[in-house]
Amino acid sequence: MTHRTTRSRAGRTAALVAVLLLGVGLVPPLANAAGVRGATTGTSSVTAGTWGVTAATTSMVFTLSLDQSSKVTDTGSVALVAQSYSVTVSTTALGSPTFRVFQCAVAWVANLCSLGLGTPVGGTLATPSTTLLTSTTALAVGAAVYLQVEPLLVLSSTTVTLSTRVTSPGQLRAPIRTNQ
Amino acid sequence: MSKHTRNDDQERSYGKLAVAGLLIASVGLLATAGVYAGLTATATGAEQVTSGSLDLTLTPDVGVGFSNFTGKMAPGDTDNVYVNLNNTGSLATAAGMTLGVAGLPLNALANGLVVGEGLTVAATQCSVAWTLVTGVCPGATTPVLATTQVSALSTPAALLNVPTLVAATGQVAHVQVSLGLVATETSTNGVAPGSTIQGLTTTLTYTFTEQQRTGVATNQ
Repeated sequence: MTHRTTRSRAGRTAALVAVLLLGVGLVPPLANAAGVRGATTGTSSVTAGTWGVTAATTSMVFTLSLDQSSKVTDTGSVALVAQSYSVTVSTTALGSPTFRVFQCAVAWVANLCSLGLGTPVGGTLATPSTTLLTSTTALAVGAAVYLQVEPLLVLSSTTVTLSTRVTSPGQLRAPIRTNQ
Repeated sequence: MSKHTRNDDQERSYGKLAVAGLLIASVGLLATAGVYAGLTATATGAEQVTSGSLDLTLTPDVGVGFSNFTGKMAPGDTDNVYVNLNNTGSLATAAGMTLGVAGLPLNALANGLVVGEGLTVAATQCSVAWTLVTGVCPGATTPVLATTQVSALSTPAALLNVPTLVAATGQVAHVQVSLGLVATETSTNGVAPGSTIQGLTTTLTYTFTEQQRTGVATNQ
């Protein structure tokens, strides 16, 4: 009986050691598995607009004091509240002509804007010079505005170059808040 | 006659030896059997355990939820969607909910030239459902994520006020996710600069991740 009891204790001890060893082996995986996470996802796509205006005529050569015009179109996908023009007046061989830029919502006819003078954009441009003019005319996508460059005292060939500028976000339409 | 007696005595001695041997063998067998009986003793107990679940769902709150913006986004614009985050599992969550946003392609509408430009995301929780038309929360608002660049969310960011954000089972969070675009960019003669955000498209995947509550030790 005593012998049997001793053997039973030995068996239990062995079983306990086995369980402990098994436990030591299992604890690290269980600890790793304890960090259960739940996740959920949603998807959306977005496209940025484009902005800019294009002048149909960007270079005008004046040999006489005759007005010339250029159609400016909003070629981007975003409406505008303003646009700028970098106007460069070249040197001239004779005299000191000056230039002014006017804007009209419709095409110029016989140098007149709907029988008016149009809206001045900036002040008088000297020769030679480069000036950045800004118009606060709102332009819808695809819409156009018409510029007219009016020279004064042109005695020899002088070139006026137009370069358009549109800068975000200040010259773009007011921000839109969409709820969907 | 005496010879006969000696033979009888010898036979008795042999018999005694045989009996003793049998007795010793029997005791040995019984002892061995006792040892094996002790090694096969067993005791059993039964216990049942069920693991909990950790489920987070994303559904529209008002409106269509996450979807494609059909318009062309301009710098300064804000596109809001309204979603419900719902803890539908049987386990509560711990602090540490995160939001990661992955862009495909990765440009996230940024030209990479100016720090701080590109798409941004902000999130705000409302105590009740949002009002779609106005984008106003009729209840109390709680900021969940301050305005953050999408490019910075490729590594998930911890959301604020998580204890009130689906921490308990069955709890719903009404969240407004605001997508914005920041960019200062000049187009010349109708042409965008060489490195531009204009006209770019990206698909954003928002991933909300929650962590289970800490383990509980039960003694019973």
